[in-house]
Amino acid sequence: MSDRALRITMIVLTVIGLGVASYLTYVHYSGIPPLCSTTHNTCLKVQTSIYSELAGVPVALIGLIGYVTILASLLVPQREETRFASMALVLVGFGFSAYLTSREAFSLHEYCEWCLSSAAIMTVLACLSVWRFLRGDDAPRAGNPASVAAEPDAGAPLVAGP
Amino acid sequence: MTPPSDTDPDLTRKERREQARTERKAMEAAAAQSAQRKRLIQLGGVIGVVVVIIIVIVVASSGGSSGGGSGLAKGSAVNANVTAVDSVIKGIPQSGNVLGNPNAPVTLQYFGDLECPICREFTLGALPKVIQKYVRTGKVKIEYNSLETATDEQETFRTQQVAAYAAGKQNLAWYFIELFYHEQGQEKTGYVTENYLQGLAQQVPGLNLPNWSAARNDPAYAEQVTHDAQVANAEGFTGTPSFLIGKSGQHMEKLENPNLEEPSSFEAAINKLL
Repeated sequence: MSDRALRITMIVLTVIGLGVASYLTYVHYSGIPPLCSTTHNTCLKVQTSIYSELAGVPVALIGLIGYVTILASLLVPQREETRFASMALVLVGFGFSAYLTSREAFSLHEYCEWCLSSAAIMTVLACLSVWRFLRGDDAPRAGNPASVAAEPDAGAPLVAGP
Repeated sequence: MTPPSDTDPDLTRKERREQARTERKAMEAAAAQSAQRKRLIQLGGVIGVVVVIIIVIVVASSGGSSGGGSGLAKGSAVNANVTAVDSVIKGIPQSGNVLGNPNAPVTLQYFGDLECPICREFTLGALPKVIQKYVRTGKVKIEYNSLETATDEQETFRTQQVAAYAAGKQNLAWYFIELFYHEQGQEKTGYVTENYLQGLAQQVPGLNLPNWSAARNDPAYAEQVTHDAQVANAEGFTGTPSFLIGKSGQHMEKLENPNLEEPSSFEAAINKLL
C-alpha cells in the first residue's frame, strides 16, 4: 500500500471520527440524550457520568480537538516530521480512548456505542500511523531524502556505463 | 586470442563500477537502517509519553472521585438527565410516591432499592414504555415502595429513601427516584453521601429545597420505609425489583419474573386486569 493510499485511508477514518466527536460534543452542550440502540440508553449513562469530563472539559470536546489536529497533520505537505506528528497525535488519542473504554468496562459497567466506535477508529488509526511512520516514505528514488540521507554526494549521478 | 594484459583496463573499469554500486547500496542500507532505528526510538519515546499521560489522568481522576464513583451528573450533563426524565413522566400527575391518575383502575406496586442496578435496568428499560402506554393514559398508577437489597448500610438506605419520599410531599418523588436511577454510582462504594442527595435534589425541577430538607425530618417517611419492609416481607420478597399488581383497591398479586427490558410481561398482566 503506498503512502498516499495510507494517508487517504487515515484521512477518511479521521473524518468519520470527527463526525462522531462532533455529535457527542453537540449532545453534551445541548443536553439532549444521545441516540442509542440499547433499550435503557447506556450511552446516556456513560455520557453523563463523572468520566465524561476531564478537569471540567467535556471528553467529547477533547476528542473533537484531537481529531481536528490529526486531520490537520494529515492534510499539510507530508514529510518525516509530519508523519511523526500524525503518529504521536494518534497514539495519544489511542491511549486516551483505551483509558475511557476501560472506565466503561470496569467502573461504569456500561458501554456507549459512540465511544466504542471512536475507540475502534483510533485503534485502526494507531496501527496505520505507526506502520506509515516506520516504513518512512515510499520506495527509494533519486532525490528522495529518505534514501540518500547518508550519502555525502546526494543527487550526484553515477558514472555512465560503456 | 588477446593476451590478458590487453583486457585489464576494461575489466578494471567494470570492477570499479561494480564496486561503487556495491558501496552505494551498502551506504543506502546503512542509512535506511539508521533511519529505521531512529524511528523506532522516536516511537518508543512517544509510547512512553502516552503512558505517562494516561497514568497522570488515572491518578487525577481517581483522586477526584475519592469516596466512590459517584454517578452524580455535573454541568450540562444534568440537562440531559432531566430531559430524559421529563420525556418519561412530565405531565403525569404525582401524589406522594404514586405516579399516575389516582383513580386509575389498575395499580402496580414497584418495590425497589435506589442503589440497585437491576432496578435501574428496569427503570430505564421496560418502565418508560409501561408509563407511556398505560400510566399516561390513566389506566395504571404506579406506587414506588422501598426494599433494601443493594444498599450496603441500612442507615444509608433509610436516608436515601426518606429523601425520595420527602420530595413526594411536593409531588416530585418520581423525579427524585428517576434521577437517582439515571445517576447511580458504582455499587458498594458508599457514593450516596449527603452531598450526593443534595446534588440530586437540586436537579429536581421545581423542588423547594428548604421544604424538602424540612420534610426529611418528618417521622412519617421513616415509618413509610418501615411499612414498605413489612409489606415486602409479608409477600416473601427478597430481591429487587419486585412487583405486585391488581385492580386498584383490591387484592394484589405478585408479578413473577417479568422481563425488565421490554414491557411485554407487564402489558400481559395489565391487559388481563383492564
